[in-house]
Amino acid sequence: MNLIKEKNHSVSQIQKKKTIEPILSCENLSKQYGDFHALKDCSVKVFGGDVFGLLGPNGAGKTTLIRLLLGYLHPTHGRATVLGLDAESESVAVRRLVTYLPGDARLPRHMRGDGVLKFFAEMHPLGDLQRSRNVADRLELNTKTRVAFMSTGMRQKLALAVVLGPQTPLLILDEPTANLDPTVRAAVLQCVLEARDEGRTVMLSSHVLSEIEETCNRVAFLRRGRLVHELQMIDLAQRHRMTATTVGDSINVPPELSDRVTVRLNPQTKGNTIVQLDTAGDLKPFLKWIDTLSLSNIRFEPYGLRTVYDSVHSGELVSIGETSE
Amino acid sequence: MNLPLDRVLLKKYVGQSMLLFCSCAFALFAFAWVRVWVVSLLDMGQFQTILEQFRDFEKFAPIEFDSLFTYPGRTGMTYDEPIVILCVVIWAISRGSDVVSGELGRGTLEMVLSQPISRTRLLCSHAAVSITGLALLCIFVWAGIAAGIYTTSVSETVPTPTIRIPFLEIDVPMALGEPAKQTLALSDRVDVEIYAASTFHLFAFGFFVLALASFLSSIDRYRWRTVGATVAIYIAQLVMFGLGKATESLSYLLSMTFFSCYKPQKMTSMIGKTDSLWSPWSLTQPINETSLPPLYYPLILIGLGMIFYGAAIICFKRRDLPAPL
Repeated sequence: MNLIKEKNHSVSQIQKKKTIEPILSCENLSKQYGDFHALKDCSVKVFGGDVFGLLGPNGAGKTTLIRLLLGYLHPTHGRATVLGLDAESESVAVRRLVTYLPGDARLPRHMRGDGVLKFFAEMHPLGDLQRSRNVADRLELNTKTRVAFMSTGMRQKLALAVVLGPQTPLLILDEPTANLDPTVRAAVLQCVLEARDEGRTVMLSSHVLSEIEETCNRVAFLRRGRLVHELQMIDLAQRHRMTATTVGDSINVPPELSDRVTVRLNPQTKGNTIVQLDTAGDLKPFLKWIDTLSLSNIRFEPYGLRTVYDSVHSGELVSIGETSE
Repeated sequence: MNLPLDRVLLKKYVGQSMLLFCSCAFALFAFAWVRVWVVSLLDMGQFQTILEQFRDFEKFAPIEFDSLFTYPGRTGMTYDEPIVILCVVIWAISRGSDVVSGELGRGTLEMVLSQPISRTRLLCSHAAVSITGLALLCIFVWAGIAAGIYTTSVSETVPTPTIRIPFLEIDVPMALGEPAKQTLALSDRVDVEIYAASTFHLFAFGFFVLALASFLSSIDRYRWRTVGATVAIYIAQLVMFGLGKATESLSYLLSMTFFSCYKPQKMTSMIGKTDSLWSPWSLTQPINETSLPPLYYPLILIGLGMIFYGAAIICFKRRDLPAPL
């Protein structure tokens, strides 16, 4: 709950922080393996102070996009710049300014937890061992254990402590809360918000929609290697869906509301019709209009990320915010 | 010149390979020492009788049998012992195969390369540790031989004075009874320094295998496949060497196998023949009419190894690094 409050509070701050030059920019970025397009014509911009969410089913191209940004993969077409540096030819310089948590972070098994923190803190020019140790303490991780004897969750915590140590301008996290219990998940999301408040930019890939809703101010949806939709979370906050039952078979929308509402009618066998209204903007004028309709069983719900995600996943186009397709 | 080495990575690779190094070093040192001691147990006369039985197979031997009737020759055979070769090959293949496909398979490359370190730097740091380890292993063989030579004594039959009967050309012993025996230190018969060139050959041999394994590792993603490919090439080359030695019609195979460049015993016998410790280091004086100067052979192995390392750097820099499975 605190997270949501904090998010709403800081949206305007984030808008202010945005600079004209993007921190991260992709232009028609593509990666092809034979006939298979892992990523196709992906163009996206992330601005300073953004907590940018990447959403999409497995194999959608989220990790491919991240790996292209860090120079693990060479693009087939297009180019990407991170903090003004070319992601392919200047990848070492890019990684000096970016910390990255892989989706499946594996660490040297022969080392102890503290040894791993020390190793990575020494390797990165912005590495901060004390900060990494503090994160490990916060995540309740015993760093005396050898990595080989750590559980999957412990290893994930250790990797997070490694990644959250250096104070880089950009932080890329690929499924950071995988394998973590709810308490630690909340702590990790808090770390993400703290990074944002420190003026850092965060790119976050996750399957957990609630996490994206809690932390991100912008979200991009990928499907089958394409960036199919992009939205500002602030737009989503003003969207609602009303479901109700009526006896009629049509509804007249007042002209002043017609551009802010989508009506769907679903006739039932008993002569009733299910009405679904998707609204955009302030609910007040809609409530007056809805009161004039002879509706029953009225139910309002926020138009959550789940709805958008399902629409994108099923291939429908959604008319919220920016759309890249 | 600024070497592309990373101190932290060097430390990590040393730690990773320490157990294998200590095991191989102990095995090589102890074996070389014990082997020299075993040489002292065999009476030279008996050894000669045994070897004479196998004259037909002399062509398979790395050097002519006559060289083996001397203590330096028999001690020098250590460099062709399967245990010595095996330990060096185990080190070379296990370290070489680890550099890319090993780290990829374990999933640790992702985290290491998320740090601001170039792929060339990573490969060179790994190579520095592996090559230094290999050099030390070769020195351990030499040290084991030295330890054996300085701690072993041999018992020799003192030649009985004879008198030659004119016209009949028959040597008649001047004393009757058991021939006298004398005990003397092996170091009186064998100079440790004569094995410097053989040690260098062993290093060159190991370097070639190490570089080959590193190259195959740099283009692969599975360590088991890298090890399999390296062993397959090694066995194929060994078979070619055996066939080339076996029949005249297949002798051309000898010029196509790297085993032809491994001549540690030849170096020992060269010193015996020329009475010069420097003769194996010549770049101008051929071993015999049909061969190259002796230093060419290890340099060919080292040169090929350098080519493999160069190819490994190029391939590693150009390739895409897949996410861990």
